[in-house]
Amino acid sequence: MIMAKAKTNLRNWVFGLPALLLVLLFIVVPYLNIVVMSFRNTSMSAPYAPGFTFDNYTRVLGDLYYLVLLRDTLFFALLTTVLCFVLAFPVAFHLARTKSRFQGLLYAGVLSPLLTGVVIRCFGWIVLLSNNGIVNQLLAYGGLGPYRLMYNHTGVTIALVHVFLPFMILPIMNSVQAIDPRLEEAARTLGASRTSVFRRVLLPLTLPGIQSGVILVFVLSASAYVIPLLLGQGQVQTVPTIVVQQLLGSFLWPFGAALALTLSVSVLFLVSTFALSTIRSMRRLA
Amino acid sequence: MSRLTIHELTKAFMAFVAVKDVNLEVADGEFLSLLGPSGCGKTTTLRCVAGLEDPTSGKILFGDKDVTHLPPERRHIGMVFQNYALFPHMTVVENVKFGLDMKGITGAEAQRRMTSVMEMVQLSHLQDRHPRQLSGGQQQRVALARALVIEPTLLLLDEPLANLDAKLREEMRFFIRSLQQRVGITTLYVTHDQAESMTMSDRIVVMFGGYIHQVGSPQDIYFRPATKEVANFIGHSNLLPGKVLDEHDGIVSVQTAFGVVQSRALQKWKSGSPVTVMVRPETLRLTAGSYPNALPGRIVAQHFLGNIVDYRVALADDTMVMIQSLGGQTHATGDAINVIVDPEKTWLLP
Amino acid sequence: MKLARVGLLIPVTATYVFLLMPIFVIVLASINSAEYLSFPPSGFSTKWYQSFLNSDQFMSAFRRSILLGISVAFFASLIGTPAAMFYVRFLQRNREQFRFAMLAPMLLPEVLTAIALLFFFNQVLFGTETILPLLIGHVVITMPFVFLTVTSALYNMPTAVEEAARTLGAGPWRTFRRITFPLIKSGIITGATLAFIMSFDNVNISLLLKSIGTVTLPIQILQYLQYDFDATAAAASTISVMMTMMVVLLIDRIYGLRAVRF
Repeated sequence: MIMAKAKTNLRNWVFGLPALLLVLLFIVVPYLNIVVMSFRNTSMSAPYAPGFTFDNYTRVLGDLYYLVLLRDTLFFALLTTVLCFVLAFPVAFHLARTKSRFQGLLYAGVLSPLLTGVVIRCFGWIVLLSNNGIVNQLLAYGGLGPYRLMYNHTGVTIALVHVFLPFMILPIMNSVQAIDPRLEEAARTLGASRTSVFRRVLLPLTLPGIQSGVILVFVLSASAYVIPLLLGQGQVQTVPTIVVQQLLGSFLWPFGAALALTLSVSVLFLVSTFALSTIRSMRRLA
Repeated sequence: MSRLTIHELTKAFMAFVAVKDVNLEVADGEFLSLLGPSGCGKTTTLRCVAGLEDPTSGKILFGDKDVTHLPPERRHIGMVFQNYALFPHMTVVENVKFGLDMKGITGAEAQRRMTSVMEMVQLSHLQDRHPRQLSGGQQQRVALARALVIEPTLLLLDEPLANLDAKLREEMRFFIRSLQQRVGITTLYVTHDQAESMTMSDRIVVMFGGYIHQVGSPQDIYFRPATKEVANFIGHSNLLPGKVLDEHDGIVSVQTAFGVVQSRALQKWKSGSPVTVMVRPETLRLTAGSYPNALPGRIVAQHFLGNIVDYRVALADDTMVMIQSLGGQTHATGDAINVIVDPEKTWLLP
Repeated sequence: MKLARVGLLIPVTATYVFLLMPIFVIVLASINSAEYLSFPPSGFSTKWYQSFLNSDQFMSAFRRSILLGISVAFFASLIGTPAAMFYVRFLQRNREQFRFAMLAPMLLPEVLTAIALLFFFNQVLFGTETILPLLIGHVVITMPFVFLTVTSALYNMPTAVEEAARTLGAGPWRTFRRITFPLIKSGIITGATLAFIMSFDNVNISLLLKSIGTVTLPIQILQYLQYDFDATAAAASTISVMMTMMVVLLIDRIYGLRAVRF
């Protein structure tokens, strides 16, 4: 009898095994390999040289250029997150609560940018923001500008906010939709004004969605590569753009690995701090 | 030979033991209920019989055939689930025909069975509908038809009426029972509703915490419960603790904190042993006057329930008893009263 | 109160405009006859589309993206669907860990995954000369989407229908074929569609794992934007957008995509 049960379980694992092997072989092992790579010696003629060293990390953490790069990448990721939140919040609420017959269309409107791919969206911003792009042309009619909206952090941030906005809208919207409307009604019957209801009932209950959105957008913008590449056109460098340059351009794989891991660890640290600090307010909701 | 035999069945899920040492024999054509509160192991027992759960230990036999490790598709059973489990992507006809397809029954024989069963459940006019277009009661009848058309050895039902409203539930009770009697199929029926099991079953199996507490006819269960849990679960009962004084001509005297109670006993009780006297509320009578062996008390509350009046009476030591009498007598709350216990209508529990 | 409602409408509308404008601008650029996009547009022309169709580079990249996308959708579904069934129906212990492992490729930063695979393929496996690394990379990051949609479809199935089929005489395989598969079909199709779109639009993996002959459409547009600048890229982009929209609408028409919730 015990034999029969074990056989069924073993046979069932066949279903889950291919996916598990896929993740093991092409995620777990390669990621561990990055860590190993970051400790290897660099070489001029090949991706890496034999032997191991701490040099890569000393370079990353010792050279001011890279520390500033790290700080800037994290800073603008944070800025992007804040801006996304400010823009997403009203839209998410509206989308969750609206009873208009266009709700489906509006929802599609938020989703459709996600279907078009980051290169195309950046392309659109290039057309809009470059020195003789549409925005500057419009401003010229009013006698203003031209302003440098591209090739700098302004353009990159605008594009970052644009690309990752849906990732902030959707989790918040889901959170708001999950709130039982009867909670609001109960609060109103107990004498709460609309602002009180919002501040003390709705806002706390959307916290999980806000948390998800914030973490998602922060991680995405810190690790963004294509957006700074296209909107910065070499004038703006972030850790990801430098890392890819090290890998594809200079062929300095170990150093690139160390730099990438340093960014990842910093992001992980910040995200964990954020998650832990909000855990108390989340716990009160459980 | 019994149609279904369950021998020493135990089923554990990791650390939790759902069913413990269950023994049962079901005769051919019998309607047997498994009754008990949620979590008592009745559904798990049914699922073991169906082959949907693997017993941890024990044996299940259909007739003389050991089916304990046989997969469900080889057991030739018909099962009706609580939420009907109709295939949403198939019509009523396709749903009912499914079992026949699986067993390779086609052509004239299949047609004959289909027509007969659809008529039995009175759904011939809804054949081409999809389940979502049917009401709860109709879906239930499709589920029955689907289970019966394959002419199984055993019919298993897992709380089939739980999702229906009260009126429909009552109608369906009679429908299922008469259908079962017409077809003569051995049936195992799981429910937590005691009225349901009492009206439908030949015998009832009462379970608590994974164990069987009693197996018997509805009358046995009601008048002669084997344990306090059974007495509490079925109808209302007053459970009065006390000690055996003596036995005389088949009548046992019990000393309680509020007086001496007498009861007819079917077995020997040793003097001095602790015992619980079970008295159903409808067997107690109230009188303002005196009566031999009556217990003195005071009416604390009363509720008018239409056909009966429900009294709460405090006895000498403030033990509360519940009494139900048909209307007619009028006593006021707060009155001193005497409670008459009929020794022929009481029952002793260990 | 009414004022607050109107006051809310303005930032909301502005945000929608912000979201959709860049795409709108590209579509406009692709039919503009001027060399450079001016506002208001100087005239309408299809010359950029002709340029796109005549360009060997763009057309081969386009073909490659479609073929790759279909293959990725196929393999992601092939691997993700049984994994979802395993998770929902069979797995008893360590469920959260398994689920996390299935979703990990989606949760980790794509650039980092691309880097990890670049190293891995060159050091341990056969290098990035063929299209195989690209295929594997895409399948790895799209499989979680199929896992999610099929899991959702399985949870939405009425309970006990599979057990009912078993009691009626259907063995495990016949139960899957006649009952489970028809009921999760829409989940599989939705997941496969998402996998196709994610693969078609992918940049990070495609950039790092590509070899000389395996340029996909997004990479082609990227390279074009870095060195050239005319609206052929806009035509290519518009066609790409139209394609993904069409795929989504087609699938929605046939199966319904209401269940696209993460």
